[in-house]
Amino acid sequence: MKAFEYTTALSTDSARELVADKGVYLAGGNDLLGLLKDYLIPGPNILVNVKSLPGLNRIERGANSWTLGALVTIAQLEGDTDLSKVFPGLHDAASEIASPQIRNVATVGGNLAQHSRCWYYRQRDVPCLKKGGDLCYAREGDSRYHSLFSGNDCISPVVSSLGTTFAALDATAVVLRDGKETRLSMAELYQKAWTEPTAHHSLNPGDLILRVEIPTARTASAYLQVSDKHTFDWALVSCAAAADVSGGKLNQSRVALGSISPVPHQVEAANAFLDGKALDDDIASQAADLILKEARPLEHNAYKVPMAHALIRRTLLKLKS
Amino acid sequence: MPSWPTETKYISHPTLRVDAVPKVTGRARYSSDIQADGWLYGMILRSKWPAAKILSVNLDKARQVPGIKAAVVARDGEFTVRYYGEEIAAVAGTTRQACLDALRAIEVKAEPRNEFAVNENEARKDDAPQVWEGRSNVAAGPPREHGNVDQAFGECAAVIEGFYTTPVQIHNPMETHGNTVSWTDDGVTAWASTQGISSVRDGLAGALQLDQSKIRVITDFMGGGFGSKFGAGVEGMLAAQLSREAKAPVRLMLTRFDQALAVGNRPSSFQKIKMGAKADGTLHAFEAENYGTAGIGAGADSGGGGGGADLTMPYLYRVPNSRVKQSHVAVNAGSARAFRAPGNPPASFGMESAMDDLAVKLGMDPLAFRLKNDSNEIRQREYAIGAEKIGWKEKYQKPGSSPGVVKTGIGCAGAAWPAGGPSRSTQGEAQINPDGSVEFRLGVQDIGTGTKTVIAVVAAEMLGLKPEQITVKVGDTNFPPGPGSGGSTTCASVSPTVYDICQRGLQQLLKQTGVADARGKNWFAACKKLGVNPLVVHGNWIEGLSNRPAYGVQFAEVAVDTETGLVAVKKIVAVHDCGLIIDTLTLESQINGGVIMGMGYALYEERVMDDLSGVVLNPNFETYKLPGIADVPEIEIVLLNMPERGVIGIGEPATVPTAAAIGNAVANAIGVRVGSLPITPAKVLAALGKVPHVATT
Repeated sequence: MKAFEYTTALSTDSARELVADKGVYLAGGNDLLGLLKDYLIPGPNILVNVKSLPGLNRIERGANSWTLGALVTIAQLEGDTDLSKVFPGLHDAASEIASPQIRNVATVGGNLAQHSRCWYYRQRDVPCLKKGGDLCYAREGDSRYHSLFSGNDCISPVVSSLGTTFAALDATAVVLRDGKETRLSMAELYQKAWTEPTAHHSLNPGDLILRVEIPTARTASAYLQVSDKHTFDWALVSCAAAADVSGGKLNQSRVALGSISPVPHQVEAANAFLDGKALDDDIASQAADLILKEARPLEHNAYKVPMAHALIRRTLLKLKS
Repeated sequence: MPSWPTETKYISHPTLRVDAVPKVTGRARYSSDIQADGWLYGMILRSKWPAAKILSVNLDKARQVPGIKAAVVARDGEFTVRYYGEEIAAVAGTTRQACLDALRAIEVKAEPRNEFAVNENEARKDDAPQVWEGRSNVAAGPPREHGNVDQAFGECAAVIEGFYTTPVQIHNPMETHGNTVSWTDDGVTAWASTQGISSVRDGLAGALQLDQSKIRVITDFMGGGFGSKFGAGVEGMLAAQLSREAKAPVRLMLTRFDQALAVGNRPSSFQKIKMGAKADGTLHAFEAENYGTAGIGAGADSGGGGGGADLTMPYLYRVPNSRVKQSHVAVNAGSARAFRAPGNPPASFGMESAMDDLAVKLGMDPLAFRLKNDSNEIRQREYAIGAEKIGWKEKYQKPGSSPGVVKTGIGCAGAAWPAGGPSRSTQGEAQINPDGSVEFRLGVQDIGTGTKTVIAVVAAEMLGLKPEQITVKVGDTNFPPGPGSGGSTTCASVSPTVYDICQRGLQQLLKQTGVADARGKNWFAACKKLGVNPLVVHGNWIEGLSNRPAYGVQFAEVAVDTETGLVAVKKIVAVHDCGLIIDTLTLESQINGGVIMGMGYALYEERVMDDLSGVVLNPNFETYKLPGIADVPEIEIVLLNMPERGVIGIGEPATVPTAAAIGNAVANAIGVRVGSLPITPAKVLAALGKVPHVATT
């Protein structure tokens, strides 16, 4: 990696000041160190360790919403027994992430802000579109891990399973931007990746995720993923669903999918379709049809269509239990 | 004629590895742990082009990087690189970061060739860019034919045609390739991660133009090789040159990224098989056309067994009318090397898949079909045992008839490793000290399979001592020469050698001390009578105590999710023979490892090359997928102990049939064949007809 300075920030304001315009924040470092070692990002001139920022490593439980500090680790999410009752989908998503060792240090903020895992982007000698090159090699080449949907020529998908699950739970990321707190829905947090090939999310340089707020309005949530392997493998497709289930009927339904689009894939028509319905195979299947209607599969990733369809159905049916 | 003792205390019993404690506590020092005085890091600059002419390599700026002590080019003058990752230059420095910075400071002038072919199916086209200028990418051997194949197919009651493919598999031993090399005026010492200390010494001597006597190779511990570590490799030569220039030892261990590019792999196979049988289930006609790639070539480092793409067909079976055509396809990718049972796992997958497909078409039970056509008496016994253990009678069902979304199935396949057997030139010595301690020294190396333990077990048995009373030293070219650890030959080479050393030692003890039987309780008294000087005895491999080949069969039970395509292996039953068993514990470890490696081949592993950029897309364990603990099923091992056959190795046969058995179990579960390894969820869904058709661009 290139040489850089290293410092530890003790307040969010000083963190922002220290990172200036060419620095990056360091939390768990799982993604950042890989990017640095493979020279995938320019610079940075300074790494600002944010792990000592006060108050950001707590899970706060409210009646109407929970707040997860950006420094909460994945292992904390996985091990919180209250959380697994209130947000079982979030618990399940956390427990599927990487390996126990990585979950011990990886953070909520880092998971949301991680870069694409596209194997062309991560290959140090391939000048792909996401790195500012002219061509999406995946479109021409092997796209088995890539998107069924994209608003631009890059088809590398979002892989943050927390982002996908937060989308289903309608969570809000609170970001320190230009000196003030800005609230972003998950759709907003990733919107830029939909339109801009080089973007991984909508965060600007210097933006710092402070926390995520999750409303408790949805009483049921679920998460499922399929990978090539049984553990420690990225999802080929992931699916999160959440709803307020009362009297056997769904309300405020939300379904989001990961690994098939540059953003957590959500279709409002499907959410609306589900509201007021009692779940069964047929309803779940119709919702899946709506969610995948606009899919644009390629030769190597077309298998994701039936796989996503099955996952949507299974995840929705899990809301019943 | 010598013979093994019939009543044994250690042979054929479980003995803990003699180096188990240092290994689990981290005290064992591997080549990558060697810290010779003043050592430097070494690192290699590799081609970022799949094909290019290298016009010049300027190392001046690299040498100016603080901490850099040496820089060398891989080849002088202009040269051609033919794959992404081929070596261009190397540097040595005091820190890893200094080396990384220096690699980026090297100025390479190159003319990249825009035309190259990294995949077999592109490279074998008539108008494909040539990997070797002026030579066709395809090299075909003469067809092999006997009987009257065309007529015979007309005489068959059932005929199947199938296309079975296996990917390029990367060796990926846990310890990467590499060496620490120290080149001084006195000669060269290389601490090598190798499965052949002698071949490394001879290779270094040739390349460096030094006397063999000036080179010492040491391998105290090594973390696996699977056939890819017989030579010092380009990385060894570069480490030596760097050491000479820097006047310091250089440790040059490859990274996992390097590992995927340049130090070996198992060739791919694309097997078009047509096979027919008569109504009674007798195989009658066989025709196969196979091609595969060994990268830019089979390579000089392929060692015992070769890295070519040819397969033994029709593998375990005799078919009276048979025609086989094979060809190799050169591509712009790293060269193949011998890989655990070269040629056998792909041949097993193709042939055993075809066997099941034909059995289904005949309406026969695939196990009965095998028993009818496999004349080997040992495998016949093993099939009977395995069938009982897996519950074949109760569990075998019509393909695809398992109810529900998650379908279960079972399958089986047979193994052979005809090339095994001992290395007859194996030698060794023992130093018997007056205090009764004894040290065995053999110039073999323990690749990780337990060779040191095998030596201790045999010596303890023959001398009437305990294995922990035997000191074992291997992995040093200063010791009497031993074989490379490959081809399932090591155990059959060292066991008779240790037997001979012990017999000679006892004879000499008798001669010098008059003790008629110095074994066991007489040992210490006899040794004491030696007086001041230890007794050193030399021994050789002797006839009559070892054998070949080994056979073996495996059964697999799987569950397949027909909506997601995910395959879960529930159980493997592995029934194996290897003559006289030395240590049941290390033997079982070998079989466990073979099964897990075979599982990786069946379900996960595949080198993926990118046509457009020419790079390896998955040079890491993130996307080059290997089985993890959660993927590994219950493995039930049944061992046939056959002392009458003598000692035989087990390394290769243990991994041969696993993928074929899993593939057959998957086909049995879902009712359709996934003829392409690895069997990924994507391929299962495609085989089930669930994937929408997308026009190729």
